[in-house]
Amino acid sequence: MYVLSLRCRSITLIAATVMALGACSDDDGDAATTTAAAATPASEVAGDTTPPAGERLAAVVAAGSVKCGTRDALPGFAVLDASGDHVGFDADFCRAVAAGVLGDATKVDFVDLETADRFTALQSGKVDVLIRNTTWTASRDGSEGATFLHPNFYDGQGMMVAADSGFAGIGDMTNAIICVAKGTTTEGNAAAASSRLDLNWEIRTFDDTDQIQAAFVAGQCDGWSSDTSQLTGLRTDYPDGADALTILPEVFSKEPLAPAVADGDTQWAQVVDWAIVATIQAEEFGITQANVDEMRDSSEDVGIKQFLGVAVTGEDGSSSTLDPGLGLPADFAYQIIKQVGNYGEIFERNLAPLGLERGVNALWTDGGLMYAPPYR
Amino acid sequence: MALRPRPPFWRDVRVLRWIFQMAVLAVVAAILAWLYSNYRTNVDRTRIPTDFKFLDRPSNFEIPGNAMSQTAPVRDALVQGLLNTLRVAVAGLILATVLGTLIGIGRLSRNAVVRTLCSVYVEIIRNIPLLVLLLFANLGLVLQVLPRLTEAWEPFGISVFSNRGIAIPWYVGSGWKLLAMIAISIVGTRLVIRWRNGVFDRTGSPARSGLWAGGVALAVLVVGWIAFGYSVTTPDVAERVTVGGIRLDPSFFALLVALVVYTSSHIAEIVRGSIQAVDRGQDEAAQALALSGFQRMWFVVLPQAFRVALPPIGNQYLNLIKNSSLGAAISYFELTNVTQIAVANSSPPVPAFALTLTVYLLISLVVSSLVNVWNRKLALVSR
Amino acid sequence: MNEITPLVRFRTWARRNLFRSWFDGIVTVTVGSAAIYLAFRLLNYALITGRWEVVSRNLKLLLVGRFPDDELSKVAIAISVLALWGGVITGLVITRQRRAGAYVERNVTRGRRVRELLGRFWPTLMAVAVLLSMSDSAGPWIAAGAIIVSAVLGRSLGVVGGTFLVTLPTPVKLLLGLVMAAVPVALMVLLASVLGWDDWGGFMINVLIAAAAIVLCFPLGVLLALGRASKLPLLKVACTAYIEIFRGSPLFVLLLLANNALEFFVPRSLAPGVVVRAVIVFTLFTAAYLAEIVRGGLQSVAPGQDEAAKALGLSPTRAMLLITMPQALRNVIPAQIGQFISLFKDVSLAGTAMGVFDLLNVGRTITKQPDFAGQRLDVESLAFVALLFWVGSYTMSRESQRLERKLGVGRR
Repeated sequence: MYVLSLRCRSITLIAATVMALGACSDDDGDAATTTAAAATPASEVAGDTTPPAGERLAAVVAAGSVKCGTRDALPGFAVLDASGDHVGFDADFCRAVAAGVLGDATKVDFVDLETADRFTALQSGKVDVLIRNTTWTASRDGSEGATFLHPNFYDGQGMMVAADSGFAGIGDMTNAIICVAKGTTTEGNAAAASSRLDLNWEIRTFDDTDQIQAAFVAGQCDGWSSDTSQLTGLRTDYPDGADALTILPEVFSKEPLAPAVADGDTQWAQVVDWAIVATIQAEEFGITQANVDEMRDSSEDVGIKQFLGVAVTGEDGSSSTLDPGLGLPADFAYQIIKQVGNYGEIFERNLAPLGLERGVNALWTDGGLMYAPPYR
Repeated sequence: MALRPRPPFWRDVRVLRWIFQMAVLAVVAAILAWLYSNYRTNVDRTRIPTDFKFLDRPSNFEIPGNAMSQTAPVRDALVQGLLNTLRVAVAGLILATVLGTLIGIGRLSRNAVVRTLCSVYVEIIRNIPLLVLLLFANLGLVLQVLPRLTEAWEPFGISVFSNRGIAIPWYVGSGWKLLAMIAISIVGTRLVIRWRNGVFDRTGSPARSGLWAGGVALAVLVVGWIAFGYSVTTPDVAERVTVGGIRLDPSFFALLVALVVYTSSHIAEIVRGSIQAVDRGQDEAAQALALSGFQRMWFVVLPQAFRVALPPIGNQYLNLIKNSSLGAAISYFELTNVTQIAVANSSPPVPAFALTLTVYLLISLVVSSLVNVWNRKLALVSR
Repeated sequence: MNEITPLVRFRTWARRNLFRSWFDGIVTVTVGSAAIYLAFRLLNYALITGRWEVVSRNLKLLLVGRFPDDELSKVAIAISVLALWGGVITGLVITRQRRAGAYVERNVTRGRRVRELLGRFWPTLMAVAVLLSMSDSAGPWIAAGAIIVSAVLGRSLGVVGGTFLVTLPTPVKLLLGLVMAAVPVALMVLLASVLGWDDWGGFMINVLIAAAAIVLCFPLGVLLALGRASKLPLLKVACTAYIEIFRGSPLFVLLLLANNALEFFVPRSLAPGVVVRAVIVFTLFTAAYLAEIVRGGLQSVAPGQDEAAKALGLSPTRAMLLITMPQALRNVIPAQIGQFISLFKDVSLAGTAMGVFDLLNVGRTITKQPDFAGQRLDVESLAFVALLFWVGSYTMSRESQRLERKLGVGRR
């Protein structure tokens, strides 16, 4: 009995320690809540579990890096180069966010996500921002707990077939087997197109593009459906050469690809949004990676000066920089342009080599859809 | 004996035991509460639903081979996923048991070639991860060995093998009526067997219960087949797919092959061990009664070996069912894969996966209690 | 009079084992020729038609992932030290058994001993030969030599040290024990200082995760088994629930959830990296299975042992710790090794479900490199991956059978 009681005592001790630890970590997790609660009466706090906005921005700054949900095998948007670094259009926007928030474009933790897992990772907080070729839809906005920001690419779903298949348009493809990636809007769009045009498609889904490619090479699929921009990239990557594949002319959906953050933190959403928008604004101003220093030092345009975080001298002689209160450093746009470039440069660097045209992704001044809200 | 005074409660074993248990439970509860509070904070911030209303929302995807439109609710998709899991599991259980038993017996064969080959099979397969076998089946067998549809193999003209699926002849008619027919014929055979055994006990004339039972089963099936107007179709190659018969999805085929091959190697070891556990005298006695090799194995050794083998084989069945979740890695639409897709299509992840895990748990519980019931029945018979 | 020549002996054997009846004869001929054909095709594939360049060019990636080239010597040193460590432990065990009279001294010739070792370790030797034949520098050769030498050296050191050890006072023994226990940890820290675990890859990460999980799951599994076997109702229910829930869930789904949904339940600042995460899942999962194994072991110990211990005045706790549990654990050593083997194979799931850069994941990645993409090299790459898994798991299962015979489990 002595031993038993001894054991009980020690275990009770351990239990108490563990509970205390649990309580401590609880406090850690909600540090912001606790601080906020200190100022308010306890009765008010009891039912309020929503942490105040700005938690994520503070956490990112404290951690010194942005966790960016992306992928590793989509030519043009995000692939690994020979040294294992992420390169591509989406990867550059991850860097733009890091440059804007932290002043250093290299402070990005790239988290490669499977298509089907990306929203879970965003909701759970595994990533700070999702820039992963993701289409903005109502139900994703609503029930995936995601807040979509300014689209960085306007796309549409297309169909790629073998060049020798004899298909001239999707109308020819009755009873075809269509291969798509798992957990995308592509699945639903293809099913809808199939029933609208009465084509009786069989839609097979795959975990990633590598698997679709293998299945396509082996002849398991008649058509490969995805966003046209993706298809263009995948076509250049095809083992039998790009000429073995044809992208059919029809585009049968709207796919605004936009960065997304988790719901419930407006400040963080705005910060990321303005980091994206800044690249468009920069192109509109004609500020490039090459001339940004010169522009900052010598531009007389008040708009450009404010945008680059330069102090503007008012008529009364007082000097001030514009702080719109986003929580970003004053020179965030300068850092983004200096380290990553403007929208046009990012596009030219990553997507133009695939043969993609600017098209609807041109600036509004050139008849496209890229339109930045004014920075003032 | 004099009544001893109760010790003070802090030295009373009974009290201490409860205090100890309470403490352990408190730790567990504290950890769970902490996890739950973190979860609540997270979902409240992002306003992700935590209830099961998502089951009624449109799924927004289709499942090839299953008649389900994209407007059908998520509930239907999950049910189809569960059915696909059960499909591959049931087919896998049967095939793995047959193959495993044959190989297990083969390892004890007196023929050296058969013995060696069966040992080599078991020792190779058992020591390779299932996922590697699955990828072999998918990337090697389906994508490299099976031909394109245009060059499909058509053995005997009644089935079509291509990398777009394996098409085999199939009946045309209602599945429920077929199930009813099978149920009736099972009940019928049991009744007939009991009757024939009764006759044998009373008169001593040969029972021939197997013959009678087979006849009755066949008769019921044939009558039902004609009465319900069933017929059979054979598959043919059409332009892009096969028509007629039933087409097994290539990923179903790959998963089935991998599960059967892997599980059979484990079952073979169990069967071998339990045959060796049967007293040699049993086999020798049967030999003395001039039973043939097959009769000795089928009527004397296997039934006794089965009693020993059942619990571990039951574990292998459970493993096979759980391992079918690997189908998600090769895009077979089983429960895990469908849940993943549903989650990617705006279903909340935590409730959805909690539901899926619960379903797997229930399947496990049902299968293990079936095995237990069967086991108890066998044990009773042995007395 | 017939002389019994080898030929006659072979004929008798063949008649008994190959041509017992005409049916047997047909089976032998058909199955045998099919087997020979298959073996020929396989050899032909392995030696001639297989395009193994995808493997040989990526050998380093498959074995140690992205470990920096100029730090590879540290990996070799670590494995050599580990071999030395294992050798010392084997030596110590042998001296202990000798002292207890349990060690069966066998008078075997050197040739016989070599043949025995070959019989036990031919898969490992074959794998090493395959790996060495693919390497194009002297480094691997030196490493292999160093590993073998240090293992042999360690064994003799252990035997010598074991005799010497008896004379030492207890505190020194304890200290030495601690030092021994610290060696693997120190090695891991040394390697992790070069490259964080999350960036490890290849076969090395499979071994690391499996080894870490099996060590960590041991105390948890034993506690759960004790809890389930105890008479305390609440404790029993809690432990049973844990065991059944983990045994009823597919490992693959648990890994998927741990990868993506963990941050729902644990603040991100506390959420571990992907390798630690995998280790935790494997630990929690394997503990449930280990608990059942240990429970079986507890039941296999004759109740008389416990009764005798109590009759000698041992408290229930001491009777369990000193009498019942050691016997139970010894009885289930083979089952534990079996569990470890399946854990070793299951680590391959972490690559697919969590993106751990494990052997299988590397094997799938290398076929997509620009030089090899689209050439259908999946079978070659998977075959190599399967070979490594097979060698590891087959050797362990053979050794476990040998141990089973040595321990005489089930024969007492």
